[in-house]
Amino acid sequence: MTDRESPSLTPAKRPAGTAATLGGSDGDRSEKPGTPAVPGPGPPPKTPPTPPEKPIAPPAARQARKAAELEELSKDLTWSRPPRRTPAAPLDFAATRRMHIVLVGWEFPPHHSGGLGVHSLELCRELTRMGHRVTFLTPFTGPFTEVPGVEFRYPTGPEPGEPAASYPDTYFAGELARGSSAEAIQGWDAWVESRGGLADASVVHIHDWFGTVGGIALARRLGVPSVLTIHSTEYDRSLGHPGEAIRWREEYGVRNADITIAVSQHLARQLIDRYGALPARVRVIYNAVRPTPRLEGVEAAHRIVLCLGRLTAVKGIDTFLRAAARVAPAFPDALFVVAGQGPEYPRLIDLAVHLGIADQVVFLGHVTEPERLVLLASASVFVLPSVVEPFGIAALEAMAAGVPVILSKTSGVAEVATNVFAVDFWDVEEFASRIAELLVYPVLRGTMGEGGRDDALREGWAERTVQTVGVYAELATRARHPR
Amino acid sequence: MKLVLYLHLHQPWRLARFRYMDLGSGRPYVDRERNLAIFRGIAERCYRPALDRLIAATEQHPGFRFSLSLTGTFVEQAEAAAPDVLDRIGRLVRSGHVALVGETYYHSLAFLLPPPELTEEVARHAQMLEDRFGRTAKVLRMTELAFSDDLARFAESGKYSAMLAEGWEGMLGGQSPNHVYCAASAPTVRLLLRNYRLSDDVGFRFSSKTWNEYPLLAEKYVRWLSSSPGDLIGLFLDFETFGEHHHADTGILDFLSALPAAAARERRLEWATVEDALDLDPVGTVSAPVTVSWADEKRDLGAWLGNDLQRSAFEAAKKLGTLVRPAGDPGLLEEWRRMLTSDHFYYMYVSGHGADADVHRYFSSYGSPYDAYANYMNALTDLRRRTLAVLDRAEPETPDPS
Repeated sequence: MTDRESPSLTPAKRPAGTAATLGGSDGDRSEKPGTPAVPGPGPPPKTPPTPPEKPIAPPAARQARKAAELEELSKDLTWSRPPRRTPAAPLDFAATRRMHIVLVGWEFPPHHSGGLGVHSLELCRELTRMGHRVTFLTPFTGPFTEVPGVEFRYPTGPEPGEPAASYPDTYFAGELARGSSAEAIQGWDAWVESRGGLADASVVHIHDWFGTVGGIALARRLGVPSVLTIHSTEYDRSLGHPGEAIRWREEYGVRNADITIAVSQHLARQLIDRYGALPARVRVIYNAVRPTPRLEGVEAAHRIVLCLGRLTAVKGIDTFLRAAARVAPAFPDALFVVAGQGPEYPRLIDLAVHLGIADQVVFLGHVTEPERLVLLASASVFVLPSVVEPFGIAALEAMAAGVPVILSKTSGVAEVATNVFAVDFWDVEEFASRIAELLVYPVLRGTMGEGGRDDALREGWAERTVQTVGVYAELATRARHPR
Repeated sequence: MKLVLYLHLHQPWRLARFRYMDLGSGRPYVDRERNLAIFRGIAERCYRPALDRLIAATEQHPGFRFSLSLTGTFVEQAEAAAPDVLDRIGRLVRSGHVALVGETYYHSLAFLLPPPELTEEVARHAQMLEDRFGRTAKVLRMTELAFSDDLARFAESGKYSAMLAEGWEGMLGGQSPNHVYCAASAPTVRLLLRNYRLSDDVGFRFSSKTWNEYPLLAEKYVRWLSSSPGDLIGLFLDFETFGEHHHADTGILDFLSALPAAAARERRLEWATVEDALDLDPVGTVSAPVTVSWADEKRDLGAWLGNDLQRSAFEAAKKLGTLVRPAGDPGLLEEWRRMLTSDHFYYMYVSGHGADADVHRYFSSYGSPYDAYANYMNALTDLRRRTLAVLDRAEPETPDPS
């Protein structure tokens, strides 16, 4: 007698009142004393049970217990296949099969290619590839990189059958406010909340502070869950001196969205500490990169140490320059390249001159996508010296291109990358040493470059989007199965 | 059936963080205090309690015999951090229950360097054993239990009676590890082989709660030993197994204490040192054209020289040898030899051996293999510059052009 033939007598967890079967042990029941041969009120068995050749004889105590269990189980016994046991809070994938997702965004490529813009584009691509429909609400008038299945709507755009918005678009068209910015933002909130044609929406997914008030209002009006992704906080962007209006909108979003997604653990902790986010309502989903082919045949005349990012105080470019000054004398053929623009530009130029390395530092200003690829193809080392970096997608892009990366320990990307040098953001000597080490040891450069590429491409936007849809599904389930 | 218990004692001189910017600063490569602090910790958790239990066992069980090896770097650190550990070892040696095993002084990969490096390092170790314990080792073990036909010939030339090696199927070709063999390349050299299954039951699996034999008690283990076929069982382990790799609260020290008594109840079992085991007749020959070690699943030198970082670092160290020797400065020679310690290369292991990566991380003193490599190379570059200064020569290498 094998185990398979022995009665499975412990389906006691089966909820009372559901149909059940006792596996292959049907016939055993009649062998047990005190067990009704035919179950009580249930319908008769569809297939008559075949008794096994030899009944098993469990010890007396167990036998009595089993009999009682069987009694209990037999109350409404039917012989049909039982439904699969479902977990307490089942993921309702039916709800996610084909969703209409309203993204309340901000920038979108091609004109804006910061982390938020890239994230939005990639999310749109992957969501539509998975069969979902996306409506993207943005204050900007485009042009937008076309993604089939994504409808872009903006305040002055065509809105068939709807009244024109009373929204001062000039503020966001680049020209600074004719009216006050507060007025403009309120107009934006009202515009988002009142968008029609979204009756079939499944979820409202807001990105960063700008859309929080309007987006949450819209979700409430539509009766759908809201998700907020925070890419960086006002504390980070302002080095600890947040603008109150923005800070408030961030906190409002974090406290009111059903789930907040942070792009790193570091950021998630901040949301909990600074904005009182409930840990149970915070998820971490990292950014990703697309495999960019490393251009071949780019021969740099110099060895390039690259730093790429907006020239703001939080990016720590001054640390980069100070480290460069320590390294430069020993490496006369090294060129320290700063790509990006921003308010710190004049100060950084002054610093480079002051440090006496003006001849080995180049400020490129804004670089286009093709230029960026050429830079990555020719760089020997990439440095991300940020004081604060919620994620740091530029470093991940450098890794994907096989460039060895030195990054500050506080960056979000440090959480997903192991094949990098992680340095304290204030440690100029350490940055300098790491740069020199990568310049001087080719084997180190090669091995770290390869390892970094593996790190960067291990999980792509497809995986990140699946994780995001997982959050939608979780909320859809919660909405259908309220506790 | 002879039980050949052999325990290996080693601590490396770990390097301090030596930045590229520290080149020429005269900073020491080794963080002496940190190493000694680590040693004190291990002495507390492992060396003292385990040695005490071994001493007690030799006193209670006249038949209990085993073997020890200890590297020169271990002795140096013990002397500075916990001299009582050496006293305990001395007491064991004097008791006559313990045989000492020879090896390189620096726990180095000197066997991959041109002669006479290996000869000198083994001689230095032999001198240390003689000075400190008044003993001469008859049996030789190479760093990480490395064995090859060349190493057998080396042992023969050094008048060693036997070598220790991993009882690895890849080398034994179907023969049992539970016998004494002759080295095919040097028939006067016997081979004592590590039974890695039974050794790893204690070394790796003892505290693993997912192991289906958990918990391992001395009685059960001795039953396994006694039911094994053959003439001897080589139980070769890191000494740190007892109290450090497995902490005391796993029961490992009690297991060690209980082992001699449990074995005494099995008539078939008899403790033997590596030298006692040489009385057994060899049953065949074993050849290893390629070096076999006791590490990782592949039992090769991949754990030390498996990736480009490791190979390039080792090549750089090897190359520096051709400068250090002519420089004739004993201080530089000593520092260079400390750089040959195999642990430095072990820390540069990236991945590729699967589950072994966890083992490597456990033993590493760096955050990443890249840290280990850069740090090592900086120190080595500094040492090279100092050596060139002694030789009154300029840096010959140009910076990497790519």
